[in-house]
Amino acid sequence: MSDTLRVMRVVEGTSVDGPGLRTSIYLAGCNHRCPGCHNPSTWPFDAGEPMTVDEIMEKVLYNRFNVTLTGGDPLYHAEALLSLAKRIREAGLGIWIYTGFTLEELQEKNDEATVNLLALTDVLVDGPFIEKLKDPTLIFRGSSNQRLIDLRASEAQGKIIEYNII
Amino acid sequence: MIQVVVKRDGRVVGYNEEKIKAAIRKAMLTTDLGEDEALIHKIADRIGARGTERMTVEEIQDMVELELMNSPRKEVAKRYIAYRDQRSIARKAKTRDMFHEIIEAKNNDITRENANMNTDSPAGMMMKFASETTKPFVDDYLLSAEAREAVRHNYIHIHDKDYYPTKSLTCVQHPLDNILSYGFIAGHGESRPAKRIETASIIACISLETAQNEMHGGQAIPAFDFYLAPFVRSSFIEEIETLEQLTGKDLGHLKNVELKDYTKKELDGLEGEERLLQHAINHTVSRVHQAMEAFIHNMNTIHSRGGNQVVFSSINYGTDTSAEGRCIIRELLNSTYEGVGNGATAIFPIQIWKKKRGVSYLPEDPNYDLYRLACKVTARRFFPNFVNLDATFNQHEKWRADDPKRYLYEVATMGCRTRVFENRFGEKTSVGRGNLSFTTINLVRLAIECMPIQDREERLALFFRKLDNVLEIAARQLNDRFNFQKTALVKQFPLLMSKLWNGGDKLKPEETIEPVINQGTLGIGFIGLAECLIALTGKHHGESEDSQALGLKIVGHMRSRVNDFCEQYQHNFSVLATPAEGLSGKFTAKDRKSFGILPGITDKIYYTNSNHVPVYYHCSPRHKAEVEAPYHPLTGGGHIFYVEIDGDATHNPDAISAIVDLMDEHNIGYGSVNHNRNRCMECGYEDASADLHECPVCHSKAIDKLQRITGYLVGTTDRWNNAKLAELNDRIVHE
Repeated sequence: MSDTLRVMRVVEGTSVDGPGLRTSIYLAGCNHRCPGCHNPSTWPFDAGEPMTVDEIMEKVLYNRFNVTLTGGDPLYHAEALLSLAKRIREAGLGIWIYTGFTLEELQEKNDEATVNLLALTDVLVDGPFIEKLKDPTLIFRGSSNQRLIDLRASEAQGKIIEYNII
Repeated sequence: MIQVVVKRDGRVVGYNEEKIKAAIRKAMLTTDLGEDEALIHKIADRIGARGTERMTVEEIQDMVELELMNSPRKEVAKRYIAYRDQRSIARKAKTRDMFHEIIEAKNNDITRENANMNTDSPAGMMMKFASETTKPFVDDYLLSAEAREAVRHNYIHIHDKDYYPTKSLTCVQHPLDNILSYGFIAGHGESRPAKRIETASIIACISLETAQNEMHGGQAIPAFDFYLAPFVRSSFIEEIETLEQLTGKDLGHLKNVELKDYTKKELDGLEGEERLLQHAINHTVSRVHQAMEAFIHNMNTIHSRGGNQVVFSSINYGTDTSAEGRCIIRELLNSTYEGVGNGATAIFPIQIWKKKRGVSYLPEDPNYDLYRLACKVTARRFFPNFVNLDATFNQHEKWRADDPKRYLYEVATMGCRTRVFENRFGEKTSVGRGNLSFTTINLVRLAIECMPIQDREERLALFFRKLDNVLEIAARQLNDRFNFQKTALVKQFPLLMSKLWNGGDKLKPEETIEPVINQGTLGIGFIGLAECLIALTGKHHGESEDSQALGLKIVGHMRSRVNDFCEQYQHNFSVLATPAEGLSGKFTAKDRKSFGILPGITDKIYYTNSNHVPVYYHCSPRHKAEVEAPYHPLTGGGHIFYVEIDGDATHNPDAISAIVDLMDEHNIGYGSVNHNRNRCMECGYEDASADLHECPVCHSKAIDKLQRITGYLVGTTDRWNNAKLAELNDRIVHE
């Protein structure tokens, strides 16, 4: 059933999950269980409703905004997300991903689907939410340990390059 | 012999002797001696015979009084007089109650009809007294019977009815070059042509200020950048001249040196002439910045119209690509970003960015950098809004990139949305023109009246018949008002007619404005398309394609009828997507009285503005754009597209440009972005949270929450009327 994902909500045209207006896809399922998580209802992997890639793409194509994959943690579903990410790329749209893993943890996994998914991703917002590092003035992230990693620039320069806001 | 009687409301009716008899009888019955039928007959006969052919009610009552005084029944006379007094007081009681409401500075829908007006101030009260007592005069003496009835039955609303007797016009786009290059006379002061940016910015204020007192609507500058640009250069030349004096050198060749941009730079490392030139540039930029700050400050503090309202001012800019024009735009945006006083957001002027491909929108455009700055500014300060010069209906075939007066062919808008462009009697332009008056149709009431009809086709057919009928009444009423307005003398609007209105300068003070008034537009507006569609089909146009098709048919029909009226009456009629501040609750309250609470229709205390998707309806910005865009080409009198965004826009100026992109893709004429902006009045802390009651930094409870109402920003909601407050509370973000 790689064609189906469990989706909490598709937000069409939000300004809080990355630059510009974006289509944000909130996927169900997360095991990080960060204390202070503002969305614990997304933790169970059977939460939300099943949606096919076609159904999701219908919304993405209608709105023609860049896409943010968030949740839950989308990186639990790298395999299943791959075909969606390809379709988004084919439509000429960019991708941001929010994850509770750090980029280094993901790289250590050495999982082919994860590597391929990140290759299609522009920016990875990484790391768990840490309540004592919470700072409401941070842009597009919750706690100061989290990073907005510009994956393309990082790859080109061989080191972690943070995405430059504005 | 009395033939006809003129009633108090001006209507003329046939004389009826029985009315006199009844009044005398009534007075007699309150006395000990009771009625005397013979005396009643005698008095009535004498009055009927002695009176003149045409008499007023008061004159007849005076005669009755005299007859009774001369009769043996003096005590009846006393009762009759006492009765007359009571009736007279009762007639005035309504006025009295209304006066008391104003005097006590009560917050209600009379005093809060207009959120920009301080009706608690003496001047504001005075104006409210005048306004409220003028309206019945207009009803009684200036409106036709059918227009009066249409208002009474809640089918139409005549905007600015209190100004009707003054013959004033609504608004104008100022050709500021006329004033800046030739000077003008206002009040008791004569002003010479401007020579430097400081004076030019002050004169711009005075022009707006003075014209506001000659009109009943807003004031706008259609090409702020183009008009002020020459004074950037003349200020720069002044700086060079100062340096000539200081250094004793001849720097004449620098005065007209070509500059790519006026950019401030440190003087370190610069030598000789280069250093002098940069010094002159630095000083010029500082002066321009200061002048723009002063302009904004003045527009927020100088009161007009008897001192209770600041000017409803708007400025359009963004397309001047000269170094001087760009300097104006940049410094205006910079000082807007900084805010006024201790950094508060300026409520006025409404600023409008002219978005044009090839000029001020795409990354390769000369003013792209300033467009990006504009998005950053609007993310924090709500302005500028965006007018889309690329929309098919906003283009002009005569526009040329190398024409120094190309702004004449660029559409400019009043901040509130009023749009004047097409012209049957001269060049298509916004400049030197404006609206004459508006009348708005209550689409919801027409639709509710058709609800009992079960068959859809019949129901819709009846609706369109009713709509046609009301459209014709509105057109006749606007034509009547036009015919009244055109009798105004040029001297009644001295600045407007001598310097601002197209062709006005060719007229003499004692002449009427008739030869030039046709440059203005007559607007037929509409309100509550959403509720109208719910009444007709069960769904509004945001939630059903079928309703959307009907909505477009309705507004398309209005547009085509309005074109007919242009031919029939030979005026510039246009359809307006009405902004409805005081109106949004009035129509609903009355309809509710007639029809009760109908779900989705009269269950809120306001109607949705014009063609908007209801504020409570959840939909994405893309969907809202797709649904509302097709109404823009149909509403030449003005329209606006709003998106409410979630989150803190200052963190995401790209979200603002994404909305401008929506306007570009969907052929939307004018739009703006709403978002939350709170500011602590104590320490200046700002954020975008939805419900901030206490400052998280200094814990002050004095939080200024900025909101937009019918296009204007209002810092406090104290002056909002109940219907608008209800609408605000229902607003949801579009995501």
